[in-house]
Amino acid sequence: MRASLGVLALALGAVSALLGIVVLLLGLRRKDDRLLRVGLRYAFFVLGASAVAVVAMEWALITHDFSIRYVAENNARSTPLLFTITGLWAALEGSILLWGLILGVYLAWMAIHFRHRAADPMVAWAMVVAFVVTLFFFVLMLGPANPFERLPVTPTDGQGPNPLLQNHPLMAFHPPLLYLGYVGMTVPFSFAIAALITGRLGEGWLTETRRATLVAWGFLSVGIILGAWWSYEVLGWGGYWAWDPVENASLLPWLTATAFIHSVIVQERRGMLRVWNLSLVVATFCLTILGTFLTRSGVLNSVHSFSESPIGGWLLGFLAFVTIGSVILIAWRGDTLRAPGRIDSPVSREAAFLVNNLLFAALAVVVLLGTVYPLLAEALQDRQLSVGEPYFDRMTTPIGVALLFLMAVAPALPWRATSGDVLRRRLVVPAWFGVGVMVVAALFGVREIWTLVTFGLAAFAVGGIVRQVALGFRAQHVAGVSWWEVPWRTVRGSPRLYGGLVVHLGIVAIAVALASASAFTTKDEVRLRKGESTTVAGYTFTYTGREVSSTDQKRTVKAQVRIERGDRDLGTYAPAVSMFPGATSGIGTPSVKTGPLRDIYLTLISAPTDRDRVTIGIAINPMVVWIWIGGGLMAVGTAIALLPKSRRVVVPPAVGRDRPAGDGPPAGDGPEAPDGKDDRDVPVGVRA
Amino acid sequence: MSRGRGWIPWVGLVAVVVAVVVWAVWPSGDQTDAERVRNITHQLRCPDCESLSAGDSQTASARAIRRDVTQRVAEGQSAATIKRAYVDRYGESILLEPERDGIGLVVWGLPLLVLVGGGVGLFFAFRRWRNAAPVHATEADEELVREMRRGDGAS
Repeated sequence: MRASLGVLALALGAVSALLGIVVLLLGLRRKDDRLLRVGLRYAFFVLGASAVAVVAMEWALITHDFSIRYVAENNARSTPLLFTITGLWAALEGSILLWGLILGVYLAWMAIHFRHRAADPMVAWAMVVAFVVTLFFFVLMLGPANPFERLPVTPTDGQGPNPLLQNHPLMAFHPPLLYLGYVGMTVPFSFAIAALITGRLGEGWLTETRRATLVAWGFLSVGIILGAWWSYEVLGWGGYWAWDPVENASLLPWLTATAFIHSVIVQERRGMLRVWNLSLVVATFCLTILGTFLTRSGVLNSVHSFSESPIGGWLLGFLAFVTIGSVILIAWRGDTLRAPGRIDSPVSREAAFLVNNLLFAALAVVVLLGTVYPLLAEALQDRQLSVGEPYFDRMTTPIGVALLFLMAVAPALPWRATSGDVLRRRLVVPAWFGVGVMVVAALFGVREIWTLVTFGLAAFAVGGIVRQVALGFRAQHVAGVSWWEVPWRTVRGSPRLYGGLVVHLGIVAIAVALASASAFTTKDEVRLRKGESTTVAGYTFTYTGREVSSTDQKRTVKAQVRIERGDRDLGTYAPAVSMFPGATSGIGTPSVKTGPLRDIYLTLISAPTDRDRVTIGIAINPMVVWIWIGGGLMAVGTAIALLPKSRRVVVPPAVGRDRPAGDGPPAGDGPEAPDGKDDRDVPVGVRA
Repeated sequence: MSRGRGWIPWVGLVAVVVAVVVWAVWPSGDQTDAERVRNITHQLRCPDCESLSAGDSQTASARAIRRDVTQRVAEGQSAATIKRAYVDRYGESILLEPERDGIGLVVWGLPLLVLVGGGVGLFFAFRRWRNAAPVHATEADEELVREMRRGDGAS
C-alpha cells in the first residue's frame, strides 16, 4: 500500500516533469504563451508528487513496514522516533527521495517567482532545464535506486540505521541543509543554460538567480559546518574535518559557488567575465553531481559510504551529459559572450575579485585532485594510494592565507582604480592592528609561522571590517539618522555589502580556530582506576565511576570523569560507548566541555572493566567553538545580504573636510553610494 | 597626513612583520621525540580507517602504530626509515601524502600550474587592458542610463 503509493507518486512526478518539458518546448516552438503558462504549472505537480512520495516513505518508516527493503535496512522496531524520521536520509535511496522533494520546492519557487513572465523564453528554457534534471532523478528512483523496492519475505525486524547515524540529533539537520544547498544550485544552472540557449547573455539571468544562488550558498555553508560539528560530536577522534572524500564532495561546489558570488559582482558592475561566470555556475552544478557520484556509488570507501548501488553508472552518465552539453553550448556561444569591458588597474576592487577567483579555482583543483587522485592512480597505474590531511594541509594553507590577505585588503579597494595614497590611508590602521596582534601572539609564544600569519591577517581583516562599518554608520548619522536607527538603516541601505562583511567575520572566526588547532592542540591517552586522577595541560581528570544504561535501541556504558582546574570543579563529563544490536564493535560518544578558548574533549577508548579500569582519550582543542560561531555568522550574513534594499536613499553630505573625493565611505553595491561617483561604473553598451 | 611621508608607517610595518617571521622560523633546537612521533604518525594512514591518520584515529590499529612509532623514535630511527618500514608492511597506500614522482607529479604540480598559469594570464590581461583604448560613454549611453534610472526610481 505505502510502497504502491510511493511508486505511483514517483511515476506521477516523472510524468509531470516530462509533460512540463514537452508542453514548454511546444510553447516555445509555437510561441504560444498559454502553453508556456501551463508548462510552468507542472512544477507544482512535481512538488506534490515528491511530497507524497516522501510522506509515503515516512509513513512506512514510522509504521515499521519492513516489507519495503529500504525500511528493513534502515529502521528497526527499537529505533527512536527521531532517528526513524531521519531514516529518510540514512541511505542512498531515501536521500534521493529527499533530493527530489527539495528539487520540487525549488521548481515551485521558480514557477511562482516567474509566473508573470511565463512567456519569456528565458524563463521557459530555464524551466525546461530544471525539468530535465528533475526527470533524471525521478527516473533514477523508478529504476536503479527505487526506495520502495519490496522484499520477497517480510522480516520480523529491520536492521536499523547505521549506528553512527542514530547517535546524535544533528543528524536531523545536517543532511537536509546540505541538500538544500546542493539542490539549490540547480536554479542558477538552469538559468545559465537558458541564457546560453536563448543567446541572451547580458546580466538578466544573473539578477534573476542571484537570490536563489545566495540562498543555496548559505544552506551549503551551514550544511558543511553542521557536518563538521556532527563529525566532532559523534566520530570521537577529536577533529571535525578529515579531508574525507565525502567532506571534500560538499566543499567542492562550495568553493566554485563562492568564487561565483564574488565574480558575479564584477559582471554586474562592469559587464565582464561572462564566460567565466557561466562556467562557474555550470561547474558548481557538475560538482554537486560529481559529489553525489563519488559518495553514493561506492567508488570510494569512507566513513560516510554506507551504501553501494548500481546508480554509479547513471550518475556518471548524467554528469558526462551535463558537462559535455554545457561545454558545447559555451563554445557555440563563445563569440557573443565576449564582453567589451576592461579592468583599468591591477589595484582595484574588480582586480581583487579576479585574484580571489584564481585562488578559489586553485583550491577547487587541489581538493578535486586530492579526492579523485587515488581513483586515477588505481585505474591508470593499478597502484593503491592514499591522499590525506598532510597533502591537503600543505596545499591549502598557503592559498587560504592568501585569500585571507585578499579579504583584508579587497573591501577597502575602490572600483576601477586607486591611488597608492588612498589605499595607504584606508589600510594603515587595520594593518597595524593586524601586526600588533601578530606581535602579541608571538610574545605569548606562538612560533608556528602559518598560525602567526593567520592571526595577523585575521586581525587585519577585522580592522578593515570595523573601519568600513564605522564609516557607514557615521555617514548615516551625519545625514541626520539618530544613533538608535543607524545600524538598521545602514544595513538596509546596502544589505549585500554589510551581509558580505558579516560573512567575512564568520570566515575570520573559522580561520582563527583552524590556525589555533594546528598550534595548540594537546592529545593524551590515560588509563585510570576508579578514584584515580591524572593531570593533562593543567587540568585534573578523575575517574569517579561508571554508569550503565540500557534501552531497546542500545546499551550504553558511561565513564564519569570529573574535571578540575586547581581547586575549581569544572563539572563531571561522561564519555560513553554504546553497543547496538547487530553491530560488531561499540560506537563511542565523546563528551565535550565547550569553552570560548578551548574545548576539553573526552573519549572512552576502552570501556570500564570489571576491575573498574578505563582508558580515556583527552584532547584539549583550542577555539573549536569559534568554527560553529563562524558558521552562524555566515548564516546571519547571508540572511542580511538577502534583505531587500531600502528604497529610501540617504545622501549624506561629505564627511569631514580631509576626505578627498576618491575616499568616500565604502561604496555600496548600487546607485545609492553616497558620493555619487558610481555613475561611472554603469556598464556601457553591454546590456543585451 | 602629507602625501610625501605616507610610506613611513608601511616601512615600519614591513620591518616588524619580517622580524616576527624571522623569529618564528629561526631554528630553535631539535624537535622533541613527541613532536617527531606526532609528525610521523600524521603521515601514516590508519589501516582500518579510510581517511584518518594513525595520529588521529582511536582504533586499535592506529593506537598500535602510535606505540610502535614512539618506540622506533626512541630507538633513534629516522622518519624516512620508519615510513619505509610501514610501506614495506602495508604498501604505498599507508602514506597519506603521495610521493612526488611519476603520476604523483600531477597531484602536486597541477594546482601549482593552475596558479602560475592563471597569474601569468592575469598579468597579460592587465597589460592588454592597460594598452587598450578606454571605452567612453557616449552621450546616447548616458541618456539611456538616466532614463533607466528614472524608470527604476518610479517602480
